[in-house]
Amino acid sequence: MAQVSKPERLLNLIIGLSSTRHRLTRDHIRDTIEGYEPLPFGASEEDVRKAEQSFERMFERDKKELRELGVPIETVEDPVHGDEIGYRIRPAEAAMPALDLTAAELAVLGIATDYWRGAVLGADATQAVMKLASSAEHGPRVELPFAALPAVAGDAFATLVEAVADRQTVRFEYSSVSSGAGTRTIEPWRVVLRAGIAYVIGFDRDREAPRTFRVQRIGGAVAPVGETGAYTIPQEIPLGALAESDDVRTARVALRPESGHALRRRGTPAGVDGGWDLYDVAYAHADAVVAEVLALAGGARIVSPAELAQAVVKAATAALEVERG
Amino acid sequence: MAEQARDRLVLMLGILTYVERHGDTPFSDLAEHFGVSVDQVRADINALWLASEPGDSWSPIDFSADAYDSDVAALVRNDGVSQVRLSPREAVALVGALSTMGAAGALPEAGTQALDKLRTALSEPVTVIGDDHVAPELREALLSAISRYRQARLDYTDAQDRRTTRIVDPHRLVVIDGHAYLECFCRRAEDYRVLRLERMASVEVLDGAVEHPPTDSAGFSLTPAFSATVRVARAGRFALEDMPGVRIEDAEEDVIATFDVADAAWVAGRLLSVAPHLREIQPNRLVDALHRQARSVLDVQR
Repeated sequence: MAQVSKPERLLNLIIGLSSTRHRLTRDHIRDTIEGYEPLPFGASEEDVRKAEQSFERMFERDKKELRELGVPIETVEDPVHGDEIGYRIRPAEAAMPALDLTAAELAVLGIATDYWRGAVLGADATQAVMKLASSAEHGPRVELPFAALPAVAGDAFATLVEAVADRQTVRFEYSSVSSGAGTRTIEPWRVVLRAGIAYVIGFDRDREAPRTFRVQRIGGAVAPVGETGAYTIPQEIPLGALAESDDVRTARVALRPESGHALRRRGTPAGVDGGWDLYDVAYAHADAVVAEVLALAGGARIVSPAELAQAVVKAATAALEVERG
Repeated sequence: MAEQARDRLVLMLGILTYVERHGDTPFSDLAEHFGVSVDQVRADINALWLASEPGDSWSPIDFSADAYDSDVAALVRNDGVSQVRLSPREAVALVGALSTMGAAGALPEAGTQALDKLRTALSEPVTVIGDDHVAPELREALLSAISRYRQARLDYTDAQDRRTTRIVDPHRLVVIDGHAYLECFCRRAEDYRVLRLERMASVEVLDGAVEHPPTDSAGFSLTPAFSATVRVARAGRFALEDMPGVRIEDAEEDVIATFDVADAAWVAGRLLSVAPHLREIQPNRLVDALHRQARSVLDVQR
């Protein structure tokens, strides 16, 4: 018999598990799917044991690989046949929905793969585009004047994505702004991207409340703990501090001529005061306006509200107290 | 290698599904569509042909032998295998990247359509927060200049708040760290530049044609002047996390950040916002820059 390569064996496994009416047990799989070695006929007990072990290892790896590929393999127990576990794939759940992408749409997805280049999701993005090409139209190559430079994403982010999909608790070392470094155990609910920065929102087991974590602040690996499907993800996920704030206020800033261009563009002119141009600027986060005025180094000052003006003075005063080394 | 086996399986299923949906297809078209060689396509058709159902020699997938001899894939039978769905990681990778480009304001029309199709099929795999702050007419003007190979005149304010009018040869829009930039050749700087769309007040398409071709080496080309080490209380950590090439270590109640400085005044401006949390700064030239900036602020704000 010709040697069956690994991709061919995986294909036969998909076909076998999809076409079974009920389920296939491990014995069935070993003895009937091409690519696995059936138990040697009339072999010694020792050889049978070895062959069984080698099949187990191979099958476990194949199963894991298909699951990572997105193929849902169901475990089917059958009370009539005792405790022997069987497997199957439901074809409708495993198949890629036909998206009928145009050649231009497929070209954009190519840019999405650039976004993760060199990062841990790079290979996933490339493989996803290959899958989607299956139902895309074939057309002349589309050149788009768009690009994306690679984002930063480590193994931690990829593990969190899988943990959310599997609903599996994770544990990691985290360096928190408010409470310092420590081990966190969370039930991850959702991954979030904002301005290219990755976060995960989940239920913190120790604090017994939802928390948001910046993935970059995780030190070392994210370790899955316990069973999959261990918790329910709520319908409404609190975005906490990540949400765009609805609470918008107005600050009046004074700007030197030819300075504070970004503030001018966002604000509305409110007259002049001596050598200063006055603008009213809407803001959701006081810290952001204060930081902007500080960075203008005397090109701007806050007229009102008073607490923002005080924050500017406080920061500048504190800066003068930093000593030369 | 595990990864290669998976890639090959995805390719085989891709060829099968493509031919099933599009009808008879020459090997050369398949090779071009999937970005592989014709020999690879032939090998994959052979492998699909050899696939078998458990326990018998029945081939669930059959191709026309005549068509095969003239290098055309013509499917005779396919009993129920097709391309497999996206894994959670794959879905997050695609939807995350496209949504980030959209939030930055640099997603082409076809990208919006692709994103809609993906979201309908996948249920939202990731939340992307952010609003596109780029004025549509500004983006349209840039794209029009790029596609017609025309120069553009920009009203631009840089990160140091210097406002200039620049004539550029525009090349393409690129998303970096969640923001949209224009890659271009700037006539004023006589060099390639990457300019942020949010800092453009206006864009005018000119009649003059583009003279400088795009370059592969564009990007941020700021040369670091020196390396700095800053010790800050944990509450001030956020201001340092985005510094170029930063490394951050925990140190009891503080963190210690080491990063490259290209423009001391710009870094001092960032440090000012967390000044109450600053513990120690090296070298002294950065301390001096911080003090200068703080005094200028206090001269006008009290």
